[in-house]
Amino acid sequence: MSSRLKSILFAAALCFVCSIVLTTATTGLQRFQQKNLLIDKHRNVLMSVGLVEQDRRYTAEKIESLYRENIKPLWVDPSGQLIEESRRGETDLPLYVYLKEEQIEAYIVPFNSRGLWGRIQGYLAIDSNGSTISGFTVYKHSETPGLGGEIEKAWFQKNWVGKKIVDRSGEFVSVSIAKGAVEDTVKSDKHSHYVDGISGATLTGKYLSAGLKEILENYEPVSIKFRKNLISKPPGHS
Amino acid sequence: MNGTITKPWIAIRKTRSFKDIMRALYDVNPISKQILGICSALAVTVQLNTAIVMSIALTLVVAFSNLAISCMRRAIPRNIRIIVEVAVIATLVIMADEILKAFLYDISKQLSVFVGLIITNCIVLGRAEGFALSNPPFRSFMDGIANGIGYSSILIGVAFFRELLGSGKLLGFQVVPNAFYEFGYVNNGLMVLAPGAFIIIGLFVWLEHTLVKRD
Repeated sequence: MSSRLKSILFAAALCFVCSIVLTTATTGLQRFQQKNLLIDKHRNVLMSVGLVEQDRRYTAEKIESLYRENIKPLWVDPSGQLIEESRRGETDLPLYVYLKEEQIEAYIVPFNSRGLWGRIQGYLAIDSNGSTISGFTVYKHSETPGLGGEIEKAWFQKNWVGKKIVDRSGEFVSVSIAKGAVEDTVKSDKHSHYVDGISGATLTGKYLSAGLKEILENYEPVSIKFRKNLISKPPGHS
Repeated sequence: MNGTITKPWIAIRKTRSFKDIMRALYDVNPISKQILGICSALAVTVQLNTAIVMSIALTLVVAFSNLAISCMRRAIPRNIRIIVEVAVIATLVIMADEILKAFLYDISKQLSVFVGLIITNCIVLGRAEGFALSNPPFRSFMDGIANGIGYSSILIGVAFFRELLGSGKLLGFQVVPNAFYEFGYVNNGLMVLAPGAFIIIGLFVWLEHTLVKRD
């Protein structure tokens, strides 16, 4: 057997063995990974409304019970009406509501925005007044650790709390990430629509701001209803 | 033979594997003597628990890649040996990553890309190419363990000081008493940043060079 043929056969056999090993490992572990992913999503939903803290450890059972007690997944139709899971239509958008004594305390918008290296996925919680952000979390991203990756850190996420998605006249403006500290780069009358940027991650901020604006625009119908106090309870409780 | 039964410690100390481990800890430590694998040593040493998980993952990857390559060493065609080594290492690293994602999800999120980057860690390829290709399987396996321990010793040492000085905690538990903070003690912010790791690794290198003097 020539040495070239031997090399090719050896490489082919190695590839075959490696791929079998990897496929077995990934399919075997998928069940556990998906469960972790779901719990992590729930943890982030809870974090966006301040029910769990970022740096504390919680057991999976604790997360699940908190989630069951306080959060209700719903859908929004294009007119801004909240709809039960069972009656959702094709074009409806997902939404979570945070319930406190049967009243909606806040609603949570899932976002999936463009980032620098890949999609950024997370949750934006908005107070039931329809204009104040009460929390921001990210559960999945592929930004550079230490630069764009800082979006998952508590210091960055804390900045979002209390920002307004509408201006004083009630016009939708979204919330953007400033290029640097808000104090230095943004006019004082617009401070409530900007959060501090991350140095070295201008592009991450730019894409995320644009992505959030687009998502929040899609959710404007329901936000308007919240602003006009038309919604205070989940459907089926009226 | 009697000696091995009555004094097992001495017998262990005479084995080649033990000598290999001691050598990897001091004389040829991959990080502090050979200055390999610095990238991950800077990145994952902010906290002790990520450093420990990273150490275990790397040790297992080096040991098993050495074992696998050593077993195949007579069959591997010389001209594609690096490709074969990298394929074996990559397979093991992806497996380690998948296992972490399934069972230690929080830590795997914190380690993010650095588990994947074990593939490019010079220690792993270096041991495969420099040792496993020319030595029998068991010795290669032990060589992997030895180098893994050498790497881990520095990684865990650096993480110990960075977490203690940088956030006043060890393994996530508060160890600096609150009374200290009331008296004006402040956590050292530099330790949380990558330059802090550089300084600590530098001190470790200096310490080892002074302790282990060459004749």
